[in-house]
Amino acid sequence: MKKYLTADSLFYILLITVFLIVLPLGNILGFVSNNTISLWGRYFCFAIAALGIDLIWGYTGVLSMCQAFFFCLGGYSIAMHMLLSATGKGVYSAAIPDFMVWNQVETLPFFWEPFHSFGLSLMLALALPAIFAFLFGFFVFRSRIKGVYFAIITQALALAVWLIFLRNETMLGGTNGLTDFKSLLGFELSNPKTKLGLYLIAFLTLCGTFLFCRWLVNSKFGKVLVGILDSESRLSFTAYNVVNYKVAVFVIAAVLAAIGGVLYAPQTGIITPGRMDVKASIEMVMWVALGGRGRLKGAIIGALLVNYLYSVCTSLFPESWLYILGILFILTVLFFEKGFWGLIEMLEAKLTGWSPAKGSESLKANV
Amino acid sequence: MKYIFYFLLVFALPMRLLAESSVNDTQIQVNTLISGSDSLKAVAINSLVASEKTEVYPLLSAINDKKLFLYNNILITIGEKLSSDIGADKFKILQVYPEYKELTSDNGNFLFLPISELKEVEFSRSSRLLLAPITPYLNLLSPEVEKRKLAYSQFQGLKDKAILPKLYSALAQEKHQEILRLGRETIFSIQLNSSPAASHKMWIDSLTLNWGPNTQSILEEYAAAQSNPELKNIASAKAEELQTKHERLRMFQNVFSGLSLGSILIMIALGLSIVYGLAGVINMAHGEFLMIGAYTTYCIQSIMSPTSDLFFWVSLPLAFLVSGIWGFVIERLIIRHLYSRPLESMLATWGVGLVLVQIARSLFGDLTAVRTPSMLSGGWEIVQHLVLPYNRLFIIFLSAFMITATYLVLYKSRLGLQIRAVTQNRRMSSCLGIETNKLDAMTFFLGSGLAGLAGAAMTLIGNVVPDMGQTYIVDSFLVVVTGGVGNIAGSIVSGFGIGFLFKMLESFFQAVYGKVLILTLIILFLQYKPKGLFPDKGRIGED
Repeated sequence: MKKYLTADSLFYILLITVFLIVLPLGNILGFVSNNTISLWGRYFCFAIAALGIDLIWGYTGVLSMCQAFFFCLGGYSIAMHMLLSATGKGVYSAAIPDFMVWNQVETLPFFWEPFHSFGLSLMLALALPAIFAFLFGFFVFRSRIKGVYFAIITQALALAVWLIFLRNETMLGGTNGLTDFKSLLGFELSNPKTKLGLYLIAFLTLCGTFLFCRWLVNSKFGKVLVGILDSESRLSFTAYNVVNYKVAVFVIAAVLAAIGGVLYAPQTGIITPGRMDVKASIEMVMWVALGGRGRLKGAIIGALLVNYLYSVCTSLFPESWLYILGILFILTVLFFEKGFWGLIEMLEAKLTGWSPAKGSESLKANV
Repeated sequence: MKYIFYFLLVFALPMRLLAESSVNDTQIQVNTLISGSDSLKAVAINSLVASEKTEVYPLLSAINDKKLFLYNNILITIGEKLSSDIGADKFKILQVYPEYKELTSDNGNFLFLPISELKEVEFSRSSRLLLAPITPYLNLLSPEVEKRKLAYSQFQGLKDKAILPKLYSALAQEKHQEILRLGRETIFSIQLNSSPAASHKMWIDSLTLNWGPNTQSILEEYAAAQSNPELKNIASAKAEELQTKHERLRMFQNVFSGLSLGSILIMIALGLSIVYGLAGVINMAHGEFLMIGAYTTYCIQSIMSPTSDLFFWVSLPLAFLVSGIWGFVIERLIIRHLYSRPLESMLATWGVGLVLVQIARSLFGDLTAVRTPSMLSGGWEIVQHLVLPYNRLFIIFLSAFMITATYLVLYKSRLGLQIRAVTQNRRMSSCLGIETNKLDAMTFFLGSGLAGLAGAAMTLIGNVVPDMGQTYIVDSFLVVVTGGVGNIAGSIVSGFGIGFLFKMLESFFQAVYGKVLILTLIILFLQYKPKGLFPDKGRIGED
């Protein structure tokens, strides 16, 4: 057996056959439920966000604890558009979303105006997190806040924005979030075909972002990121402007998270501040840790696996999910630093006698 | 039977006249209330109402609230609930007739009993309705504080002197400071509105001196309605005076709240800071050690006699010990593998936290509370309207104690010397014969113990819930970061700083925006001092 069937190629084959052929075909033929389809569609969104986390944490070593916020910025933007495009069809047939009617608001707040147009909404969904990440990242990285400090600051940020989104007067739906979407670009969201379509779009976007990330980490840019991980000060001694690279990767990670959010909201039908609390961000990081940090495939596998496990566990034994998750956290960090994908690589090495452990001292820079 | 009823009804009026002649008749009617038939009870109530004797008002009030019981042949009602989860809820027992007082048990404590041990004295709805005309007066004697407050406020602004005797007699029974003030305010306001103008100045002075919760608005209303310019000026000047006084007090109250919040943050940050400084581990499960401390207090409360305060004082050292032991075990099992890997430690300890929270949830359920010891309930009223709650004062005191103890351990003991040595240079200290392994475990024990102690104190100001640790943990992280990680003095300064700032901003903005503003300020601050207030000097620090 000579590397014809490596873990790598097995990953691609499985991913494509299961998610691009078996599940959609099954859905059309009727033995895969619509629910399963939209469930996996959502997991793809998480996987896209996980790719971003892998870039910034796995490759660069910067632990950002506010990725869920960027995810929700994307989600809220598209949700606002969907609500606005359905105005007049709500319970009160008012020109503003229903929750504003409950809050005795008569006119649409000014910042909702741009979200009437789909194009603008999509642009804002990606631009808002990018701008925010740029400004925040610039100030924070410039003052050489790093490591634990950065993690804690971003965590505090996640807490603060979560509190803001929870408020009713910020006109973002408060605790209940935004929900009751009717259609997107004229497609009925309740229609199974729309669901399948969104699923396929999510999957293809995942493939696209994966290819982009793979290109990125194999480019010179990616090598510099790994350089930052290995030794930031040595890198800056060799005249690299580390701050620029960090800001850039922070922005990219934010945009990836936002893309996930944009695809997530229409598939779930609801987006609430609960998606962006402190826990949510840490759990996102854990997907990557469990799947295998510093490996793009690991991020994808981690996001899909943990979320699948979550839906299985919460229906089978709801009490013990937090035990399982907590213990998985601990075991992964303690014993499987390279996560699930690292485990597979190890197995492969054992089976074939071929060792992938070459290259960078901290991690293998290729995908 | 019916005829007797009609007969009694016809003669109710003469009977009332007779009743007033002797105390014993009141006793007879009270006895009828206990054992008579429904119709006889109605008659007895009617005549008691008509007698206008205030000493039966507590009894009537209990009937009105459907809370009249018999206990050892004494007519009683139930007062405040004793918070405890063991068995049925217990209530304070108050005798209502012939005297209105709290009953005590054999050992001199107030008597608390569950309802199942009491025999309810029942009344039909129609008889209770007979009390409707005097319900406002009855509520003045209700065992519930809120009802009494409401009753007194309802009489404010009346212009009728006729009710004053009832108010005076009700107020004579009152022991609650706040309601005493409210009651006096009510009486003075009625006097002010109904007395001749000559005495108005006196009543205004009395009102100002008493300074109840509504005095300012009463005076303002009076000034607006008064045509006499002299009285008008006096009243509005007094109102203004009260206003400025009030604002000054609120400022002071804010400072106090800031101090209290700062103390809480410092209590939590102390342990975090020591552990990070020594071992380079950010312990996300730190809040869960707080929770363990709180649940220890809760368990001790359940084990020990629920009426005595001793449980709280016993649980303080035990909370320290139990949390410390948990910390020690977790350190040995998990955290020692994570030294000098702060980012990974954050994730693993988050997992530890998840498991601990879930354990607490399956053991104790979702919501439990610890009773505040009677010694720490209430507050110290320095001047009027400036009440410093004892529980907050205790927390400030405890936090001062913890800071002092930590300081002494770190700077005056051999253990502290070693901790500081390892914090500065682990390898070198190890070479010089310090057993770093043992020291790590000890430090973790101390850090978690401090969190547990804080948790025991936190039961004074909130419920005990499995995720209580997460309320303050992010803020405490901010305190540690702003102060300089691993630096005790920095944590103290930044803890108070953030506490004060937060309470000050909160009084201008809403709490949420205050929080956002603080975060912005901290980020800006870190632009100038990226390593916090007091950064480590020397070679360690970079990479």
